[in-house]
Amino acid sequence: MVRERRHSRRGRPSPTRQVEAITQPLHQIPVYELLDASALDKIHQVSMEILSEVGILFMDDPESLAILREHGVRVEGELAFFTPTQIEHYVTMAPSEFTQLARNPARSLVIGGKHMCFAPVYGPPFVADRERGRRLGTLQDFRDFVKLAYLSPYIHHSGGVIVEPTDLPTPTRHLDMLYSHIKYSDKPFMGSVMSAGNAADSVKMVEIMFGSEAIRQQPALISLINISSPRRLDDRMLSALKVYARARQAVIITPFILSGAMGPAAIAGTLAQQNAEALAGIAFAQMIEPGTPVVYGSFQTNVDLQSGSPVFGSPESQLALYVSAQLARRYHLPFRSGGMFASAKIPDVQAGYESIMTMLPAVLARVNFVLHAAGWLDGGLTAGFEKFVLDCEVLGAFHTLLRGIDMSENGFAMESIRSVPPGGHHLGTPHTLRNFRTAFYRSELFDYQPSEAWEADGAHDAYERAHERLQQLLASYEAPPLDPALDTELQAFVSRRKAEISG
Amino acid sequence: MSDEINIQELPIEELFELMQEDLYDGLADEVLEEVNEALARGLQPFEVLTQGLVAGMDIVGKDFRDGTLFVPEVLMAASSMKSGMTVLRPLLIETGAPKMGTAVIGTVKGDIHDIGQNLVSMMWEGAGFEVTNIGINNSVEDYMAAIEAHNPEILGLSALLTTTMPYMKTVIDALNEAGIRERLTVLVGGAPLSDAFAEEIGADAYCRDAAVAVDTAKKFMQIRNEAA
Ligand code: B12
Repeated sequence: MVRERRHSRRGRPSPTRQVEAITQPLHQIPVYELLDASALDKIHQVSMEILSEVGILFMDDPESLAILREHGVRVEGELAFFTPTQIEHYVTMAPSEFTQLARNPARSLVIGGKHMCFAPVYGPPFVADRERGRRLGTLQDFRDFVKLAYLSPYIHHSGGVIVEPTDLPTPTRHLDMLYSHIKYSDKPFMGSVMSAGNAADSVKMVEIMFGSEAIRQQPALISLINISSPRRLDDRMLSALKVYARARQAVIITPFILSGAMGPAAIAGTLAQQNAEALAGIAFAQMIEPGTPVVYGSFQTNVDLQSGSPVFGSPESQLALYVSAQLARRYHLPFRSGGMFASAKIPDVQAGYESIMTMLPAVLARVNFVLHAAGWLDGGLTAGFEKFVLDCEVLGAFHTLLRGIDMSENGFAMESIRSVPPGGHHLGTPHTLRNFRTAFYRSELFDYQPSEAWEADGAHDAYERAHERLQQLLASYEAPPLDPALDTELQAFVSRRKAEISG
Repeated sequence: MSDEINIQELPIEELFELMQEDLYDGLADEVLEEVNEALARGLQPFEVLTQGLVAGMDIVGKDFRDGTLFVPEVLMAASSMKSGMTVLRPLLIETGAPKMGTAVIGTVKGDIHDIGQNLVSMMWEGAGFEVTNIGINNSVEDYMAAIEAHNPEILGLSALLTTTMPYMKTVIDALNEAGIRERLTVLVGGAPLSDAFAEEIGADAYCRDAAVAVDTAKKFMQIRNEAA
């Protein structure tokens, strides 16, 4: 009998998920609305009262106060008072969604609407891994995290200060971080906010990459402007905000409230304060440059009033997250929050529980930009390598959750149901054979074996397995191609700026 | 519960006990009354301080560490201590009692994190130190002016950002240049710091939390008082 020679499945590499394979998830399940319309309106009303009667402080920055005055805002000393009409007028100028450019166009991201995107942890001074423990972060660690974020199909954004490269001089380290994002990844990234100069350098580098006109049409940077709650924007953040708004680069205006310390020991009041702060920052950005892309941010949890330390994964922070997302939608703004937060120091049971406590609400509430989606440990003081790898596994599961249920013919699989007799099984039906690889999300790191097999394999826990995976990932990494001419130009810019700054 | 008491009729041990209880409960006015009563009975200011207020705050500190007391309760206790100290402090100086210590604390330039240093201030006040908290974003000049104005034994520097930590060294270098480093105990704190960093920049010690900050400040004051 003659037959065509076919390739056996034997020896084929295991189907590792390709970086290209998975794109930015769309939120195709119902959005969880915690408050009804009248309760939400009450929060809005109280925040208007805060804005018009209590005021928001614009600290140590006379130019910002002048801009506010020019736009009719009442300023007393450094305190600004906004009327509800002013807020509405300026906040509606902000786009409800926008696209952030990536150097690989396939990886540009839509921020807003039904789109979600996951970005790495931001800001920790320390890193930790199973072998070397906790230590101060270095540029090498920074690059390794950029590579891990590039390799994960479930991380869509390269992030910003994934970890502080403390081995580099502070005045120029932003240049090394920006260059590393560009060189070792082709996903979008964040600008530096530590000063106006750093922000200007960030803008200059994306101008080199995309051209100065292109980035005014669609932003190539998104940057984290934290409001120093309660009710205060500081000069550092204001000066970075002005640079980005003038260049029409996206900013995430995030009130950062640890209730009990930086906000009242009450959730409704915290939400009203947060809303007032965010809207003040967003309106201010629109005064500088109407239509500049902004994201409504929330970073809310509470201090442990026993010890004074921040608490992560608290039930109250879940409640607040749902409502913050509702507020952002009320003003038709993209929303940032969430993350795999943990106070735990290693990726143990505590870390897992804490992380999921915030991440699940982030998914159900439809957070458009999820910062700290992987790697967060130790209340944000430590970026964990294994934690990053484990978090990515869970983000993968959320991609599936977000797709909702397939209601097509294939989703019902009636042919399979009809063909299997009572008490029979579906393991070999044509429908199963067509769908088995994709029907159910399968973690590559979690263990599903019978316990004897698990023991025979060395009884490794998730932390150990993640450590092994980490080594494999870093060893397998290949940099995405970068145009040599562009690379040379970027390197020249970095060296020139370093010389000028250290000058 | 609502039995009336006349503090003037209480034996001295019971008066101290009441002072400690009221301190624990954060009742500033009552503590002040009790301090005045003790002084009126001719007790030495140093005795009132150590057997009344400090003994009371030791219990507060212990229960805080054990997780029984919450930050707002410690805050109330510390401010009651402070109100008692307003009466005692001038008398302590007059009678030449060993110094409890004066401290200036502030977050360095470029840094606006202050929750941690506010906790430290509060705990130092609770331990009887006279504390001036100069807030956030302090330049060398701000620290110099505060040192000039308050003549502290202890200078506390706080930084939470790796980008502002180097400024702590700038401050210490300036103290050296001004020739006043030697007469100060410089304590540093903030989550990203370490003992090694404190040593590197020439500080006297790093304190990982408010409780350690109290113990360390007390230890250095004891050394100073013994040397004096
Ligand atoms: C709250 C907070 C803020 C608040 C601060 C509000 C306020 N009024 O303080 C706000 C929102 C303003 C803020 C802003 C920013 N923050 Co912040 N913040 C934090 C956070 C979550 C908690 C800090 C805290 O209050 N802890 C609780 C207190 C009780 O602990 P503590 O401060 O460590 O203090 C204790 C000890 O350290 C010690 N101690 C402290 N000071 C002193 C001083 C002396 C003399 C002594 C003896 C002891 C001592 O005793 C204290 C009591 O036990 C930390 C993460 C963390 N887990 O620490 C990030 C963190 C410090 N922030 C960080 C960053 C990056 C920022 C921003 C740059 C973010 C941005 N893009 O906007 C800005 C910078 C603003 C500025 N110019 O300073 C990073 C810093 C890491 C780094 N790279 O160096 C961290 C680690 C978080 C992160 N992963 O991003 N932040």
